[in-house]
Amino acid sequence: MAERPEDLNLPNAVITRIIKEALPDGVNISKEARSAISRAASVFVLYATSCANNFAMKGKRKTLNASDVLSAMEELEFQRFVTPLKEALEAYRREQKGKKEASEQKKKDKDKKTDSEEQG
Amino acid sequence: MAAVAPGSGASREEEGTGGDAATPQPPAPTSAPGACLSRLPLARVKALVKADPDVTLAGQEAIFILARAVELFVETIAKDAYCCAQQGKRKTLQRRDLDNAIEAADEFAFLEGQQR
Repeated sequence: MAERPEDLNLPNAVITRIIKEALPDGVNISKEARSAISRAASVFVLYATSCANNFAMKGKRKTLNASDVLSAMEELEFQRFVTPLKEALEAYRREQKGKKEASEQKKKDKDKKTDSEEQG
Repeated sequence: MAAVAPGSGASREEEGTGGDAATPQPPAPTSAPGACLSRLPLARVKALVKADPDVTLAGQEAIFILARAVELFVETIAKDAYCCAQQGKRKTLQRRDLDNAIEAADEFAFLEGQQR
């Protein structure tokens, strides 16, 4: 069953929430408009991906990375997104690092516990 | 435990554009630790990225940044469309407000012709 890229819509509930939070209280959005924004968001992903992939290929890489996406934003005239995206990336990296350290710590503790149980 | 977003009654979009059948979407649980950074499910974004035949692999950071960029995009286009609605003294965003917002901004040019 072939799914066209345009059919891969993002969850409506999340799209609706983002829209509502962007707008003042009391403002509504018609179903048609919301659906159109959802489709536009999917198209945006595809468009940005394609552009980011060009940067990756220029760099002779096969894996898309964050800087490819940031370069794509600038290329597509979405420079205003670059700063908030960089901040989000920093926060994400910190969180990932924290998670990794936490799980490593957990593993160490678990090993310690297993050792002491065996001894006891 | 945060509740799963209710999708009943709101997930069916009978848009009728080009007669395409809308694929029923299960409500995606969005509550997860670190959800404050990105509300969109990364798996869905990744699926869209992989739909591009030229893309081989995409790093997790790239997917995350894209998801965040989409959020910013949705916010931006919603606000632009709202300006159009305000001019029409309406409090409900209509499809035509969106079309106007797309036409008005150069960076949204890639969307023109997509909505029909």
